[in-house]
Amino acid sequence: MSRPSQLRDIWARYRRNKLAMVGLVVVAILVVTAIVGDYLTPYDAFEQNLLNATAPPSAEHWLGTDVLGRDLFSELVYGVRLAMIVAVSTVALSLVLGVSLGALAGYRGRATDTVLMRATDIFLAFPVLVGAIVVVRAAGQGIWPVIVALALFSWPVSARLMRGQVLALREADYVEAARSIGAGSRRIVVRHILPNAIAPVLVYAFTSIGVVVVGLASLSYLGIGVPPNVPEWGRLISQSVPFLRVPGKTHLWLYPAIAICVTTLGFALVADGLRDSLDPKLRGEG
Amino acid sequence: MTRFVARRIAQAVLVLLVATLAIFLATFALGDPFASTGEKVVPPEVQAIDRAKFGLDKPLPVQYLTYLGNLVHLDFGVDFDQRRQVSSMLAETLPNTIRLALVAIALDVLIGVIAGVIAAVKRYSFTDVLVTVSSTLAIGVPTFVIGLVLVGYVSGLWIFPVVPRSFTVQVPWWHEVLLPAFTLAIIDAAFIARLMRGSMLEVLRSDYIRTARSKGLPERVVIGKHAMRNSMIPVVTYVGISLGVLMGGAIITETIFQYNGIGYLLARAIQANNAPVIMAVVVVSVVVFVLLSLLVDILYAYLDPRIRLD
Amino acid sequence: MRKIRTGTVLTLAALLSLVPAGCAKRPNVGTQNGGVPLVGFPQTPPPPHVPGKPGGVFRLGIVEPVAIDPYNSQESEGNLVTENLFTELINVGPDGSVSPGVATSWTSNPDCSQWIFTLQHGTTFHNGEPVDSVAFKRGWERAAARSAASEVAYHMNEVQGFDAMQAGAADHLSGVDASAPDRLVVTLAHPDCEFYLRTFKTVFSPVPTVAGPADNKAYNDQPIGNGPFMMAGPWQHDRGIRLKRFDGYAAGPKANLAEVDITILPSQSAAQGEYDGFNNGTFDWARLPTPLLSQARATYQPRGEWISKKTAGINYLLPMVTTPPLNSVAARKAISEAIDRVAIARGVFQGSQVPADAFVPPALPDAYQSGVCTACRYDPADAKKLAQQAGLAPGSTVNFQFNTGGGHEEWTAAVTQQLKRNLGLNVNYSGVPFTDLLNNEQQPGASGIFRAAWGADYPTPGNFLQPLLSTGAIGANSPSQPATGDNRGRYSNPRFDQLLAQAAATPDKGQRITLYQQAEQLAIGQDLAEIPLWFRQQFRLANTMKFANMYLDFAEEPTLAEITLR
Repeated sequence: MSRPSQLRDIWARYRRNKLAMVGLVVVAILVVTAIVGDYLTPYDAFEQNLLNATAPPSAEHWLGTDVLGRDLFSELVYGVRLAMIVAVSTVALSLVLGVSLGALAGYRGRATDTVLMRATDIFLAFPVLVGAIVVVRAAGQGIWPVIVALALFSWPVSARLMRGQVLALREADYVEAARSIGAGSRRIVVRHILPNAIAPVLVYAFTSIGVVVVGLASLSYLGIGVPPNVPEWGRLISQSVPFLRVPGKTHLWLYPAIAICVTTLGFALVADGLRDSLDPKLRGEG
Repeated sequence: MTRFVARRIAQAVLVLLVATLAIFLATFALGDPFASTGEKVVPPEVQAIDRAKFGLDKPLPVQYLTYLGNLVHLDFGVDFDQRRQVSSMLAETLPNTIRLALVAIALDVLIGVIAGVIAAVKRYSFTDVLVTVSSTLAIGVPTFVIGLVLVGYVSGLWIFPVVPRSFTVQVPWWHEVLLPAFTLAIIDAAFIARLMRGSMLEVLRSDYIRTARSKGLPERVVIGKHAMRNSMIPVVTYVGISLGVLMGGAIITETIFQYNGIGYLLARAIQANNAPVIMAVVVVSVVVFVLLSLLVDILYAYLDPRIRLD
Repeated sequence: MRKIRTGTVLTLAALLSLVPAGCAKRPNVGTQNGGVPLVGFPQTPPPPHVPGKPGGVFRLGIVEPVAIDPYNSQESEGNLVTENLFTELINVGPDGSVSPGVATSWTSNPDCSQWIFTLQHGTTFHNGEPVDSVAFKRGWERAAARSAASEVAYHMNEVQGFDAMQAGAADHLSGVDASAPDRLVVTLAHPDCEFYLRTFKTVFSPVPTVAGPADNKAYNDQPIGNGPFMMAGPWQHDRGIRLKRFDGYAAGPKANLAEVDITILPSQSAAQGEYDGFNNGTFDWARLPTPLLSQARATYQPRGEWISKKTAGINYLLPMVTTPPLNSVAARKAISEAIDRVAIARGVFQGSQVPADAFVPPALPDAYQSGVCTACRYDPADAKKLAQQAGLAPGSTVNFQFNTGGGHEEWTAAVTQQLKRNLGLNVNYSGVPFTDLLNNEQQPGASGIFRAAWGADYPTPGNFLQPLLSTGAIGANSPSQPATGDNRGRYSNPRFDQLLAQAAATPDKGQRITLYQQAEQLAIGQDLAEIPLWFRQQFRLANTMKFANMYLDFAEEPTLAEITLR
């Protein structure tokens, strides 16, 4: 079957899945917000107003203000851009690493495979938090150390996934056929195996965008991650901790938590939808 | 078979060596533990004496080898903060973390598997949507948020102990472990539900199941015996990894609940740049994970001969 | 396809509807409830003294101390335990006033190079050993030994023989004479008319013979002292410390409480933990997290469970005065006048902190000079003028660092914003771990301002001025070496040093204070070598329904020895 009609079939299957469509809409809104949101917020997300700190939602401040008096709604919008940038960069980085190393290991097998498996073991066994702290302490605060730290601990999973897929497909008929007509390994991997193996990795990538957003929030909650005055969702939640049991201040942590949740949900629904609609492709047909 | 096992063990040892080296180097990136931490300056002569006491003035390779040598005797050294034996600190906290990990796994396997199976069997039903949505939602809520909410609103109610509590108050372990275990279990349960559902859906479509159904076997047996067994594989893989990670100590959760496990120990050690403790906890986590991973691999090889030949 | 199009259109429409709201950003101003809180919560008076009833278990929470053994007990947590396990030569009251401890009286010779402490008879340690001058000498030498590597032995640096011990050349303090059991004669290598004030620090505690050397772990974890309380079991690290009343206490009034349970909390959010513990009935005493101050005050003050006290400390900005851009008085004054202390106190601190107008705080009422810091007022217009004068043009880069983990993010961010807004400065703002902060301040090329705070060790204004501003306290032989002392800003003024030296040689307290005041006028009023921000105030919650006589002592600890059940 030709490519364009394959894509059309996938899309047709995807559209039928209601939840997946909801996810797509959410992701679309997030992307648009990330791009233009900052220009449309009523307040500057960084501007403090200490005399009006922790104010509950009102007409002036739709979601209230945080502990420094910054407008919560504007902060959440800013946070979308931050989360998107960090998550997409992290996933892209870990995919590049994971897919190439995983495919290599899966196809070559034996020694290369063993080395990769043990290397992923090391990264998977190492407590993420300690590793992230070390990277951030060594490289200083800022977005890139956070991205590197998060990518460092996400690549093993996509590598293993890719490796598993390649292993399964190595013995497929059409690969045998390609080999028999003398195609070189690189060509086989890139043109025949990769497109068919990539599906679950892609699905994982979408889920992991949500996971990375949560990871970023966790790092910021601990005080590592973005610089202290940046209104990242996890940072907002950690600033709200003293007010947990104070009545009337739920908005301080609830809305950032909802933002994290909705973002992850959107991407995960898309991932699910992708997986369901790519389903027959997973078996490597065609 | 024995050759396979021998090879895997050798690899595991190599992994441990590389990991401990990485940890060892990493702790130096964390900073000098004897620099001043209070408002008053620690005189440099005093710092020098402290450093010499802990052997920090020797060259790095020497320190590393000494450390490795001690590890073999299960001597994790003495910590910088309290001059206590690190192994006694581990002995105090590790059993608590193991209990927490086991209870959390039990909870999330129970919840996750049941939810996943129901969702798969009744595909596209309301239950399916409920499970799918709630499991996706659960992934989106960071563990620390769940922990904070539980500690803020639920601790102190019923049998859940108050947080914080006086150290003189004795709390039975099965009360103490519940809320933190639940916090940890939610996210894993969500992943397991999704995995189970996905895997079950595939298996239910397979020829194997069609045959079983056409043989007239009752649906309960088809699902409960045949479908479940085959769809559990990814769940087992996931639980294996999860157990390994949990054994390493859930830092944030243990701290939020003041739960005296190795995660809490690690969190305090990181704050104080207490290198021996950090190294010890990370080594323990890595060892546990590698061991579990080894066991799982050997189990798979035993069950599926093809894997051995790789 | 149609479904998608409708969805997209709706979304775009929704977004577009926000445009009028967003294109021109509104300024974020406005207050709650109209009313602006007072700046500086008034001090609560010391509680009326209630006669003691023996009994009761008092519970509180702290973070894990560095040490409770007097040889190394240093920060407030360790101090809390050690000062109740031991009684020193003198006692210092909550207002800084001095009263007899184990020493009934003390005198010095005219040039303050020798001090004689007359000790009480018949007081003992918790294990029955007698407390005499030998016990004091033993304790002092134990801490001063080179092998002890004590981080607090420096308080003894004026005693003759200290340097020799620290160098490992001697194992006795030649300047301490304990030949008569009821007289301790101390000879100083550096005469100091305020030496006696130092002796209330726990490092000057006496120890029994069983203490052994400083690395005796059994004693480190369960010190045997001569104070109103004793250890009821060893220190359970990261879990807690249990104290019980010492019924054989004779160096002063016995304690009332039967037991004190000190729970050890994770340091990350300790104040939050103490507060939550107070709320859930776990603790009888608690600190407060800053964001909750006004809330807590509104709740607890009506119940009489709120304590607020001005303490001997100051929060300030430490400028590097020898490197650009703050190496001129005009530049420092510009920065100081560009900071709206009142707004930050009202906003971030919810009115709890008092803007400083001097460096020596009102907690030392004899020495406090209100308004000596003329640049401590908010005057952005004057600040701009001074900045121009100093060459601190808009766009100049100024470093501003603070330590993470101390809850300083909010107010330092506010200061940064004010400097940017009022002077147009490019503030290089960052938070680093405390050890890194200290390290950065020490470096030869360090420039800009650093968040700082200082709590007095001894009840004298000299302890604000000498360690932080004297030339001798820089600890670097040349500008290219790191400043290892406490005067990391490297302020050096010979006239200032002279005034301090004169004060140290003046036996009369009133005259001493006058000299210190002149010194402060020079270093702060004229040169603004430090930029004072807020006077230190401490707030606590106290379970006054169950207990009485709860207050903060000079070292900001609860007055455990006086507390009693109602």
